[in-house]
Amino acid sequence: METMNKTSNKNIIELIDVCKEFDGVSVVEKMNLYVRKGEFVTFLGPSGCGKTTTLRMIAGFEMPTGGKILLNGEDISNLPPNKRPVNTVFQKYALFPHLNVFENVAFGLKLKRIETTVIDKKGNEKIKYTKLPKAVIEEKVRKALEIVDLVGFEKRSISTLSGGQQQRIAIARAIVNEPEILLLDEPLGALDLKMRKEMQLELKAMHKRLGITFIYVTHDQEEVLTMSDTIVVMSDGTIQQIGTPEMIYNEPKNTFVADFIGESNIFTGVMPKDGLVRFCGKPFTCLDSGFEKDEPVDVVVRPEDVQITSPEEGKLKGKVTSVIFKGIHYQILVQCGRYEIEIQSTVAPEVGATVGLCVQPDGIHVMRKIFRVNKFTGVITKRNTVEFGDGEYDCDVTQLYPGSYLDEEGYLITAKGEKLDLTDTEVNVEVGLHDITMSDNLDEGCAAQGNIISLIYKSEYYRYIVRTENEEDYVLACEDLWNENDLVSLIIPKDKIRLTLKDTEGSKK
Amino acid sequence: MTKAKPRFSRKLLAIPYGLFLAVFVVIPLFIIIYYAFTDDAGKFTFEYVRVFFNESGKGFWGFFTSYNFKTIMQSLFISLMSTVICLLIAYPVAYIIAKCKLKNKSVLLLLFIVPMWVNFVLRINALKELFVWIGIYNKSDTWNIVNTIIGMVYDFLPFMILPIYTTIIKIDKSYLEAAKDLGATPARAFIKVTLPLSKAGIMSGVSMVFLPSMTNYVVSNYLTFRNVKIIGKLIDDYFTGDLWHDGSFIALVLLLFMFLVTWLTGGFSPDEQTDTRGTSLW
Repeated sequence: METMNKTSNKNIIELIDVCKEFDGVSVVEKMNLYVRKGEFVTFLGPSGCGKTTTLRMIAGFEMPTGGKILLNGEDISNLPPNKRPVNTVFQKYALFPHLNVFENVAFGLKLKRIETTVIDKKGNEKIKYTKLPKAVIEEKVRKALEIVDLVGFEKRSISTLSGGQQQRIAIARAIVNEPEILLLDEPLGALDLKMRKEMQLELKAMHKRLGITFIYVTHDQEEVLTMSDTIVVMSDGTIQQIGTPEMIYNEPKNTFVADFIGESNIFTGVMPKDGLVRFCGKPFTCLDSGFEKDEPVDVVVRPEDVQITSPEEGKLKGKVTSVIFKGIHYQILVQCGRYEIEIQSTVAPEVGATVGLCVQPDGIHVMRKIFRVNKFTGVITKRNTVEFGDGEYDCDVTQLYPGSYLDEEGYLITAKGEKLDLTDTEVNVEVGLHDITMSDNLDEGCAAQGNIISLIYKSEYYRYIVRTENEEDYVLACEDLWNENDLVSLIIPKDKIRLTLKDTEGSKK
Repeated sequence: MTKAKPRFSRKLLAIPYGLFLAVFVVIPLFIIIYYAFTDDAGKFTFEYVRVFFNESGKGFWGFFTSYNFKTIMQSLFISLMSTVICLLIAYPVAYIIAKCKLKNKSVLLLLFIVPMWVNFVLRINALKELFVWIGIYNKSDTWNIVNTIIGMVYDFLPFMILPIYTTIIKIDKSYLEAAKDLGATPARAFIKVTLPLSKAGIMSGVSMVFLPSMTNYVVSNYLTFRNVKIIGKLIDDYFTGDLWHDGSFIALVLLLFMFLVTWLTGGFSPDEQTDTRGTSLW
């Protein structure tokens, strides 16, 4: 992890190829990560991305189905939670309702046994386990309550506390045990906005004061930027990017990260040469380099990096379609031809006015396109159609062998005159992003069907990911707006399916 | 100005229940009190209090050797033992069913409830035949007490299992995780968290077994050849013997026991967890 600052160089926890499956469904895939001692690390991602599962594996509530978790270099993958020097602040606090505040905070201390070696009468060394003295427990609880600012609440019952107070008690209950790592599972989710902001700053201050490692899980991007030293952005059980808040915000690695953290305009463009990118039909100077000539790229421009100028000065010209006051700034939408651009500015143009827009080079972030083509492994059927990705499609099998044709019986005659039966031949299938169309008519023959699991607006089109029942993902581009979770069937024209023979040692996907 | 229409108030819905309570609970209670403290001529008297405590004619201290006292003590003992044994059997059963990973837990639970669908006089009779066959039926006074307790446990076990099961299944998994996270071994986590959190179910089960087993004299009659008497039988004897005033007073004494037990098991406290009392399967 490329972190800055004062955290020490020692890795306190390391995840090596950690995998987790629930009933055959993979939730975390081959995760590799290390956390330095004293760091404030946040796992960020949409719900279901595996961040909580990862945290629960570190806490010991879930055992990884593959890989190793190292704590201070020792494998703790199969250690039960009570043997790990790790404490958790739970999402819904999980304070014991039958105990009062003091008993809750003292719970861990009362269970603690100190190992002392004593020499008995016969002179043999014996290990004795003693409870912590009552005075020590009381002192430690008082200190923990002081840290969370709730001294004097010892005798109160949990049900009489407000959400914020319960939150603090949950933190006190965890830190009183002086864990090496404090795990926080969306601890601020149940608080109102004002309370949440306060607690964010307090947690940050607490982290500085205590000097222990914090691992924090959230889906709230604003929370992340405020508190973390390091952010781990996750999606679909894999890490998308690891970095400091500045890095994640300013240099998102892919469109998912850009879209998830902050508002962004995402365009499709090409890189004619280093330092020059073409999008929205205009060339822009940028700071990125190292791409192939004319490589298709995703371009991210943050709304605050777009400047409004007079129509003549602007690189792009457009019509203001909406202006919304957001407190510290206005959110302005400008339609430039077929591109819709979001802008944040402290001055607002009038709706309907024609304005110019320009972007400084440092406001343009170019990233490699991740999905340029869908790749599947398919099988040719008896009818010379191809089965892949949960569907069966008509295709042109003659492209497998140049110069070949099909005879009346459905056999393939190669250019050399060989007669081939293609049934059950494994092939690689490639389908372009723009070659798949969605239809809500679910009776489209044998076409694959699936639910839309993700959509990202890319100014010209929406990029959808459609997942079928058997977890085959299709990535496609479409100008129309569909809803997430819509069930659609996927139509691919015969001539858009590119087939190649599978190498004997060919890769799987 | 428009006049507000006379609207159907939701309070009106309470009337049938209020009537029911008055006719079947409050008024009979007053009738019992009336009979306990009046004589045949309808005059107020403490005669039956005196008769109850001085049945043997040996004065107040003679009460502790009297037949009534012995019956009450025996009845209390049987109830207590039945309750304890029920609890010892029911808790592990409820715990195991609640914690097992089977998808259809209610089927397992049903296995313990299905016997209740068979008429209980039949079941007790069958149990009696079993005792005869083994040879412990009416063998001695001790065996008669033991047989009564077995009968009570057999009859009331589901009433103990269900409330305990409902409380355990409702305990949020995160409490146990929190306990383990704070360093508790599974056994410590059970003692420190699961057990106290299932207290409401235990209390509810205890009162559902303890109180009926003081009055369910069908069990004691059938299983002991009418040789073991419990409070319920005592009251029955007085009423069938046309001694309504004596019977009413003993009924009041029983009521006092019920009140005490309910109070001790926290039945009157406005506990948040008392909802478990009502959330059984019936």
